[in-house]
Amino acid sequence: MNPLLEQFVIESRDFLEAIAQGLLILEREPGNSEAIDELFRGVHTLKGNSGLFPEYAAFTHLVHAGEDLLDSVRDGQRAFDPEIADHLLECMDIVSAMLDCIEGGNDLAPTLCEAGKALAVSLRALRAGPLAAAGEAADDYAGAPADAGEPADDLPPGDASVGGNAPAAASGGGAALGSMQFRYTPEPGCFFKGDDPLFTAINAPGLLRLSASARRPWAADEGFDPYDCNLVLEGWCDARREALEQHFRYVPEQVEWSTIASTSGQALPVGVVDEATAPQVGTLAGRGLTEKEETAAGRILRCQHQALARELDSLAAGTGRAGEPAEAVAEHTANRVLKVSQEKIDRLMDLIGEMVVAKNALPYLAARAEVSTNPREIAREIKNQYGVINRIAEEMQDTIMQVRMLPVGNIFQRFPRLVRDISRKLGKQVELYMEGEDAEADKNIVESLADPLIHIVRNSLDHGLEPPDERRAAGKAETGVIRISAFQEADRVIIEISDDGRGIDPARVKAKALERGLIDEVRAAAMTDQEAVQLVFAAGFSTAEQISDLSGRGVGMDVVRTAIERAHGQVHLASEPGRGTRVRIALPLSMAVTNVMIIRSAGQMFGVQMDMVVETVRVPAEAIHQIKQQRTTVLRGRIVPLYALNDLLYIPEPPVANEAGEVAVLVIRLGDQDVGVIVDDFDATLDLVLKPLDGVLGALGGYSGTALLGDGSVLMVLNLKDLL
Amino acid sequence: MPITFSDDRAVFEGICAVQEAEGLLSWVLEHPGAPVDTAACEHLHSAVLQVLMARRPPIVALPPEGPLQQVLQPLANP
Repeated sequence: MNPLLEQFVIESRDFLEAIAQGLLILEREPGNSEAIDELFRGVHTLKGNSGLFPEYAAFTHLVHAGEDLLDSVRDGQRAFDPEIADHLLECMDIVSAMLDCIEGGNDLAPTLCEAGKALAVSLRALRAGPLAAAGEAADDYAGAPADAGEPADDLPPGDASVGGNAPAAASGGGAALGSMQFRYTPEPGCFFKGDDPLFTAINAPGLLRLSASARRPWAADEGFDPYDCNLVLEGWCDARREALEQHFRYVPEQVEWSTIASTSGQALPVGVVDEATAPQVGTLAGRGLTEKEETAAGRILRCQHQALARELDSLAAGTGRAGEPAEAVAEHTANRVLKVSQEKIDRLMDLIGEMVVAKNALPYLAARAEVSTNPREIAREIKNQYGVINRIAEEMQDTIMQVRMLPVGNIFQRFPRLVRDISRKLGKQVELYMEGEDAEADKNIVESLADPLIHIVRNSLDHGLEPPDERRAAGKAETGVIRISAFQEADRVIIEISDDGRGIDPARVKAKALERGLIDEVRAAAMTDQEAVQLVFAAGFSTAEQISDLSGRGVGMDVVRTAIERAHGQVHLASEPGRGTRVRIALPLSMAVTNVMIIRSAGQMFGVQMDMVVETVRVPAEAIHQIKQQRTTVLRGRIVPLYALNDLLYIPEPPVANEAGEVAVLVIRLGDQDVGVIVDDFDATLDLVLKPLDGVLGALGGYSGTALLGDGSVLMVLNLKDLL
Repeated sequence: MPITFSDDRAVFEGICAVQEAEGLLSWVLEHPGAPVDTAACEHLHSAVLQVLMARRPPIVALPPEGPLQQVLQPLANP
């Protein structure tokens, strides 16, 4: 992809985001002229940019249609309403899917182009202004065949010609999709500039009909000057507006455009043309037309029908405006371009400079070591050098971390649209509040959050919030509230999604869990309500009785939990029946570097992620009690079940105790419970870059990844959650 | 000459350029009601069209089907 195109894709995505936001703002405050201007500018620039790439004409065409519609909104010819918003949002969806094609280095998919074409037609149809203008023109014509009962002199009324007015009439009755009408009023002195307006008009691309009339009544005898241009040329073209604009590029201010829009959305099949014409002519004949007039009327009708037939193909192509673009949007992956402040890049550049200097010192050190007789001194110098490199590495790591930090607002952006679309679909009234969009977290974390959050918000919309009448009956405001907030808490970023809907009924959850065999009756009876609602996160749990296309596809909240745990986060749900539900997600700020504790068992080293470790204790052998099959001990008054790591890993060796006869127990937190793991010994903690297992090892459970140690050996990092 | 004037009609031929307008105008004024034949006309300049529209000499023959015919059609009186 050439750099220009690359830049175009990146910029266009930004515009699309801004446009989507603008549309939502406008929908809330339709009179906000600033928002309209902003929106129009965005769409206008997007169109202008795309014009640089003639191969993506379909793109330009679609955006142009959107721009025209916005233009008439801006001029006050058309009031902004949800229908316009729907169309424009759909327009942006298709544009976004087109961008995906462009980004992938492909041509625009034909299905997209067709969808775009069809949408452009309906966008143009939404413009009320041009229709009204066309209606005016049609009025002249209405005096002729339509009111043919009038004196026949009306047929060629004054200087206005009959034939050319047919297109205007078509806009009232037929479906001339995508056709353009122009009204060219040359300036009076144009002949002296060498212009021949008639010639220009006759050569307009795709010209179907042309007529000439006088701008003002012709002057009497001596006053008439044939070189004072008094013409108005009106034509009807089967061409794209761009082509026409190109044709009239020297006189743009003298030409007015309008789209001959569809009113019925249906066109007559070709075969119908003649049959259709005959009765209409017949009707006219019944009104006492002369034979000539009848012929003229017949010709007009025939022309109309021909034009209609000509539009059939494009219409037929457009009817398949399927849900494909929407699907494409759903699959749209996170934007892979990262925007970084100049400052951070400069800082990295400085650090690299320092690193190069530090590296260059090493050969010098090696040369010294060869001739030196004092190994101690050399060792000290190497350590010094290590200190320098270490500092640089740490600073680099820190800077890279900052570069990777993204505001969570990046994923919040899509919620207003999501909430709008779904609430409209479900007929619910929902107000969305978002706060803390600028809380930052690692790029991977933020991106991994996107899908779970969407799922949670969908759940809230679908299951949580009640329809307006139910809310009214429950004494609540008709408009439901969904609140999404993000903030940083110590080294975690917390995201809360709450709604004021009907909440989760713990009894129903329990019943469902029992039915699905997720818990047994004893457990169900012992569960508190708060514990019960957590069951929605259990795998295979989905309470939706009816599978809707929103949520409840059988993949329930367990997917959310899995995704969040994969990012080393936790998710917690609190619910109060009738009052609402709150989901709280806690995630580490970064997961690029993991703090790992090294433990030893059966002569091997293993890593355990520090964030799971609660404490390390030495437990005397006599404090370990065997209850049935389970070893336990009591720590600060609580019973902690114990597992030997060797047993978990199927290593047939007993744990090694120290001289005092105590075994090392690593206490970790699993969900709400503390669990002890018996190991041989504890070792240091290290910051490591954890690499997930891949290839054949990828299928191996029990390990969350590997890391290289300073001496080159490989440390296997245990996934104790998996093992226990 | 693209336009041949005679006492009983004016015949248009080929391309009638801007300078024809003046001659046509004086001919129309001198021969009120005399017909105009445009059957062989390929194009006529806007100024010529203005003369036809303002003075309305009856057009007895139209050019072949096309935009020019459409423009002149309403001027072809019964």
